[in-house]
Amino acid sequence: MADYANPDVLVSTDWVEEHIDDPDIVIVESDEDILLYEIGHIRNSVKFDWQTELQDQLVRDYVSRENFETLLSEKGVSNDHAVVFYGDRSNWWACYAFWTFKVLGHEKCRIMDGGRQKWAEEGREFVKDVPERPKTDYKVSAIDESIRAFRNEVMEHMASPRPLVDVRSPKEYSGELLHMEAYPQEGALRGGHIPGAVNVPWATAANEDGTFRSADELVDIYEKGQGLSKDQDVIAYCRIGERSSHTWFVLTYLLGFENVKNYDGSWTEWGNLVRAPIER
Amino acid sequence: MSSIEEIVREFKGADRQEMIELLIDYSEGLPEIPRRFAELADRDLNKVHECETPVFIWVELEDGKVNIFADVPEPFPTVRGLVSILVSAFDGLSPEEIESAPTDFISRLGLAQQLGIRRVRGLSAVYARIKGEVRKHGTVT
Repeated sequence: MADYANPDVLVSTDWVEEHIDDPDIVIVESDEDILLYEIGHIRNSVKFDWQTELQDQLVRDYVSRENFETLLSEKGVSNDHAVVFYGDRSNWWACYAFWTFKVLGHEKCRIMDGGRQKWAEEGREFVKDVPERPKTDYKVSAIDESIRAFRNEVMEHMASPRPLVDVRSPKEYSGELLHMEAYPQEGALRGGHIPGAVNVPWATAANEDGTFRSADELVDIYEKGQGLSKDQDVIAYCRIGERSSHTWFVLTYLLGFENVKNYDGSWTEWGNLVRAPIER
Repeated sequence: MSSIEEIVREFKGADRQEMIELLIDYSEGLPEIPRRFAELADRDLNKVHECETPVFIWVELEDGKVNIFADVPEPFPTVRGLVSILVSAFDGLSPEEIESAPTDFISRLGLAQQLGIRRVRGLSAVYARIKGEVRKHGTVT
């Protein structure tokens, strides 16, 4: 059986339990659900909220370099720490935080395979105590936007044409679903997908227990199933760039694709852009 | 049951951490659904399909009052808390009172500002569902 391209980036629940008191790591919980950390979390873990902390609160963008430095300094994360992310929904939001940390240049990032769900199913301990961590003086070394795609680049990518992976549900991909009424804040005026994009819903890469599928299964899904190959430039997108960060992680670290970008503008940008080509 | 105005007062001015605590209370306080509904939920009936999280709503009319039952699985405490707020606000009111309830009720809680707009987006769908069900039942009696 083939192994993941970068197995070191994944750690197991066993490993995390053994390293809970390891001063060289910081365990970070990143969830869709904003209450889960308060209800109970892995001892010594720190909460990062993707929506109110990792995104800029005014402009549609990620947190600025300065605010990221302040945020990490206050939470006691230093440049040398290995950050181990875990979260709800098959680590969907953990991957999103992982990707954001990578964009902001944090070097050592890991994901706890299986996330919160596996930790809970194995009957491991959750605590309510919030750790007191000494403040640090975090400095962003370099922003890495090589893993982030903006709309003009997506437009060129589409025209080339190079592969695009739409990781939304089949109904969003086909344009049948827009959820205009229920999701007024996230609506797109047009439904469908970027021409040429293949549809691989993000959760295809996850097992029932929240862990990632094996390397062989992932090869079957993305390479054999969709004809993607490691040397191609690939852009992944969804509705707002969160589900696609899970796929970005899978393609980059588990399959070893060399150049994958996450288009965080995603459908809420593309489906509203005047004259942007759409396929149904 | 709390009145809409009481709930608005409770949330008004709360900072993020206070709001999280309030929501946890609501989430834990959502009454358990009667056994007769549990089987329907297992079969995915009465699901609010606009929500990504499984949300189940039942509305019944008894002696001119609306009884609202809701269920959201425990791994989704935020949605559970939000739905619990709606149940608390509307359970036991008359159909007319629910129909004439202020439409800006949700935005007045200030949840979107503190928790992020995307977390609150499904709540208006649940709100609309409750109002729709009440209207349906209102014509039956």
